[in-house]
Amino acid sequence: MLLEATDIHKTFQEGRETVHVLNGVTLSLARGEIVSLEGPSGSGKTTLLSIVGCILTPTSGRVVIEQHGVNAQHQGELARVRRQYIGFVFQQFNLFPALTALENIEYALNIKGVKGAAAQREAQRVLVAVGLAERLHFLPRDLSGGQKQRVAVARALAGNSPLILADEPTANLDSVTGGQVLEMFRALAKQENRGLLIVTHDPKVRAVADRVLKIEDGRLI
Amino acid sequence: MVDLARKNLLHDKLRFVITVSGVAFAVTLIFVQIGLFGGLLDNASVTIDHLDADVWVTSSKTPNIDFAHLFPETSVQRVRSVPGVARADNLIVSFMFISLPNGARENIEVYALEDFNRWHFPWNVVQGNLDDLRRGRYFFLDESAARRFGPFAVGEYREVLDYRLKIIGTTREALSFTTTPIGFMDYRIAQTLLGREWVGRTTYIVAKLAPGADAKAVKAEIQRRLPHNDVYTTAEWSRQSRSYWVDSTGIGFNMFMTVLLGGLVGIVIVAQTLYTSTMEHLKEFGTVKAIGGSNGDIYKILAEQAVISAVVGYVLGLIPAFALVPAMAKGGLKLVITPELMLAVFVGTVAMCLLAAMVSFRKVATIDPALVFRG
Repeated sequence: MLLEATDIHKTFQEGRETVHVLNGVTLSLARGEIVSLEGPSGSGKTTLLSIVGCILTPTSGRVVIEQHGVNAQHQGELARVRRQYIGFVFQQFNLFPALTALENIEYALNIKGVKGAAAQREAQRVLVAVGLAERLHFLPRDLSGGQKQRVAVARALAGNSPLILADEPTANLDSVTGGQVLEMFRALAKQENRGLLIVTHDPKVRAVADRVLKIEDGRLI
Repeated sequence: MVDLARKNLLHDKLRFVITVSGVAFAVTLIFVQIGLFGGLLDNASVTIDHLDADVWVTSSKTPNIDFAHLFPETSVQRVRSVPGVARADNLIVSFMFISLPNGARENIEVYALEDFNRWHFPWNVVQGNLDDLRRGRYFFLDESAARRFGPFAVGEYREVLDYRLKIIGTTREALSFTTTPIGFMDYRIAQTLLGREWVGRTTYIVAKLAPGADAKAVKAEIQRRLPHNDVYTTAEWSRQSRSYWVDSTGIGFNMFMTVLLGGLVGIVIVAQTLYTSTMEHLKEFGTVKAIGGSNGDIYKILAEQAVISAVVGYVLGLIPAFALVPAMAKGGLKLVITPELMLAVFVGTVAMCLLAAMVSFRKVATIDPALVFRG
């Protein structure tokens, strides 16, 4: 199994009040599998994504990625897991505005330890794969919303991270572009045998997902 | 490696210009303040540094070259008899009144020796022959006197202490900390002009050591033979003459405060712009963390940005500082920018900018990578 999250609880302290955001969530994801995680606002889906993405630590529960238990207490260990196993796609794209499409991918690869010509080759490969061969040297401001999201997808795929986590990847795209991005996403995930967890409100995501999970009040239903 | 730090810094050109302008302003300010201070201190000891002596004998507790006290000139014989001394002469340094053609009376600071050429002093003669000073009531005047006294020329006469003396030569770069113009005349003429009190008395004895002589040993022996005088090596006397003005006038503290303020201005500007930039790029730094980057990766970005700002600001600050050197000279001020000062200010500028960047380090350390999920 690529990802196993077991009995995940997460509480936040808001003033004197303890808010239970996740209440014993258990989920798993295999390589090559696409899972859609749906739920209303405040249901805990982004918190769950943050925890399985090793960005947040659970209050209790266990996260295992590729048979490696994640030591949630150590920030350096969490950063290492993110570098080695996880690619992110964000709702707001989160590209670096001062870097070209190619440099955005190269920089992410540099962080993962891939440098020089190897990083450049891999960045070109993934950008070509997402259909941006003609836009390698464009700054994000010169790209459309769909093209930006393609760069973001390419960044997540670069470096062979087995687990791709996407937060509302179509929220800022029109329906046609969103559909195209999802199809591309699905094709690449299947072709490259990556596990893909998509948090979304968008019903179109169901069409590309192998499995749909629903979350409400911090519980999978 | 993709240089995110440099690209981010240059991406917002206006902010970059503001940052380096702040650094450049601070650098220019520091160069001008320290350079002027250095120039002033240079004046305080420029005559000591150029007179070809190794040892100076002063009356007891003489604070600096300008404020000399009298002692018997026969002491020079004792100095000449010390083993290791190649030659020794009396030197008078004294302020004298000079009457100007417009009737005004001003001060000049006179250096008087029996044989100027023997001491390679003054070191920059523009006009005239120093040997002629021994031939009568003549004197040399430094060109810088024109600013205070108005134009003058070789061949003209001036009244010094009510004696009519002919200007027979001019010098350059002979300046004093007090800004009083410097003149040179024969030792005996100076004694005559200064009056009865000065007969048989001098203000300094300067000594040249024989080749291979141990300066410390010679100095100690002179001190033993002249227990009521003070004896210095040239370096010691030069340092004392400079430090007198630093310690007694508050000019050193004033310079320190200005440099400190210049540094603070730089730190505040760089810290403010870097911090604002950090706040605006918070989500990007969150993304760096989310994709596996550490706080160290972000510190490196901020540090590199600080160093780039420092280097560019330093160069931009150095150019006007150098441009001010001739402008200041026209106003009679010496702005001294030495390679050592350039290196020290460069290191200080980089340190200043890194210190400023550390304000942002604190913010970065607390960035929650989960902010990348917020809209």
